Amino acid sequence: MNGKKAIEVHDLHKSYGKVQALRGVNFEVREGELFGFLGPNGAGKTTTIRCMLDMIRPHSGSIRILGIDPQKDSRRVHALVGYLPGELNMEANLRVKSAIRYYSELRGNHVDPRYIAQLAERLKLDLETPIKNLSKGNKQKVGLVQALMHKPRLLLMDEPTSGLDPLMQQEVYRLLREAKKSGTTIFFSSHIINEVENLADRVAIINQGVIVEEANPGNLVKMEVRQMQIRFKGLVDASCLDEVPGVTLVSHGNGSLATVRVEGDLDRLVKALGEYPISDISLQRQSLEEVFLSYYKTAKEEVY
Amino acid sequence: MFTEIKHTLRRMRGAIIGWGIGLFAYGVMMANFYTSLEMMEGFLENLENYPPEMLAFFPNIFDIMSPKGYMDTYFFSYMTLIIGFFAVTACANLLVGDEEKGILDLLVSYPVSRSGFFWGRLLGFLLAMVIILLVSWLGWVIPAGSSGFNLSALELLQPFAPLFLVLVLFGVMALLFSLLLPAARLAIGLAGGLLLVNFLFIGLANINPDLQVIFELTPLYFYQGGAAIEGIDWGSFLGLLGITMVFTLLAWLLFQRREIRVGGEGGWKLPKLSFRASRG
Repeated sequence: MNGKKAIEVHDLHKSYGKVQALRGVNFEVREGELFGFLGPNGAGKTTTIRCMLDMIRPHSGSIRILGIDPQKDSRRVHALVGYLPGELNMEANLRVKSAIRYYSELRGNHVDPRYIAQLAERLKLDLETPIKNLSKGNKQKVGLVQALMHKPRLLLMDEPTSGLDPLMQQEVYRLLREAKKSGTTIFFSSHIINEVENLADRVAIINQGVIVEEANPGNLVKMEVRQMQIRFKGLVDASCLDEVPGVTLVSHGNGSLATVRVEGDLDRLVKALGEYPISDISLQRQSLEEVFLSYYKTAKEEVY
Repeated sequence: MFTEIKHTLRRMRGAIIGWGIGLFAYGVMMANFYTSLEMMEGFLENLENYPPEMLAFFPNIFDIMSPKGYMDTYFFSYMTLIIGFFAVTACANLLVGDEEKGILDLLVSYPVSRSGFFWGRLLGFLLAMVIILLVSWLGWVIPAGSSGFNLSALELLQPFAPLFLVLVLFGVMALLFSLLLPAARLAIGLAGGLLLVNFLFIGLANINPDLQVIFELTPLYFYQGGAAIEGIDWGSFLGLLGITMVFTLLAWLLFQRREIRVGGEGGWKLPKLSFRASRG
């Protein structure tokens, strides 16, 4: 990672009629960084990415992609960027091979066919299948191949693992880490808190068109509120768990089952549970939306 | 741009083959039918008994015994309407069709300028039209010797030039409408509707001379049809070409500044010409 900026977004505003999609978005991404862009649906993630590629134009603000203004020289920006849209649609009548060949031709044929074959093999993508016969996950693989095939300097990915099974998600994480290792800057949006936690060097959280937090991914855990269900060996009085800082006893059922809500890390709860005979524990992680709701609820409560 | 031309031609290959074979077969059949027309005694007398409202749509029908009148009546008079609907549909979908399917979103992220996409796709469509019309022309040329036309291949080719131009005019009109209206199907409806109304005006203006003034302002008034066998009226041709170019340039300008839509984003409202954003 060097000090140079791969992405500079300053005071970006964009409206659709009366709806303000972006209300002054500011962030910077350094070259070689793996940057997570988080936010609930409709927060402005896709709009920001599409402004960065000059598909839509902001009403005010400035963008620089690898030092280039996309409104002034979008073609140069596009040559350096690999893009995976959130909603990927391709010509249904083409075979995967023909679609990739077409995309490669659009890049002036500066793509190594061996690398395409390698990517397809790693992602278990059959190049002979017609696009119309592909499942959502397999279409996503085509999207990943076309975004990675020219070894871009910057990857802009809107939900890169959407529709993929857990094994394939891991393969994508590996591909992204390898790309980062070879110097590619990666900017990706996601709903999946685990994905961001595992991959990103830094994250920005966008909500209602403004960046509300720029943080280290580890801090996301502190924002998270999880629900844990504990099954005890026999009947026990688990009311003491309510006194553990950051833990709220939600229900205690018939004495052999307890449900608790945990804010932040689990260390103190796990230590407290050492006193009890336990037969099973299940942990329910929150979706990003739930994290946001609890985060903002807590923040509001602190204000009032 | 070359990639887009190739891609557009590849996408239109079904239409090229379908229209090409159909129009070629029709040309061969009608060219061979010409000799038998000469043998049909009293044909012209019978025509005079047709209702004037019907004859009004075929202004050269009483010249049907000449190759010019024959080709005009059986081909050039109404092919503007028949092939015109293909031109309108293909052009309205040229860019906005892909945008509505969500395909354009990914394509415009590639290092091809908006102009490259626009001109590549338009040239692809123009080439497809040229191929269809050339195949159609072959349908008249190949049997020409045996059909008694006594026309050279070039003379037979000449009326295809104004036909091509008028088809392109309505095509780019549909392309322009597709970039102005909220959906491609509205552009097809409007441009196709205007083509149909203009076609009906040929007959209506012949029946009601008061409508002639309005008809003279429409593209099909400047369309020569089969009469171009005797030579192209360059004044009308260049006039139509001028209008076609104006429509094309307007469509190009609109696409340059167009905000590419994806599902769930933005509105399906009439677009405004947007200019560069002010820098904050």
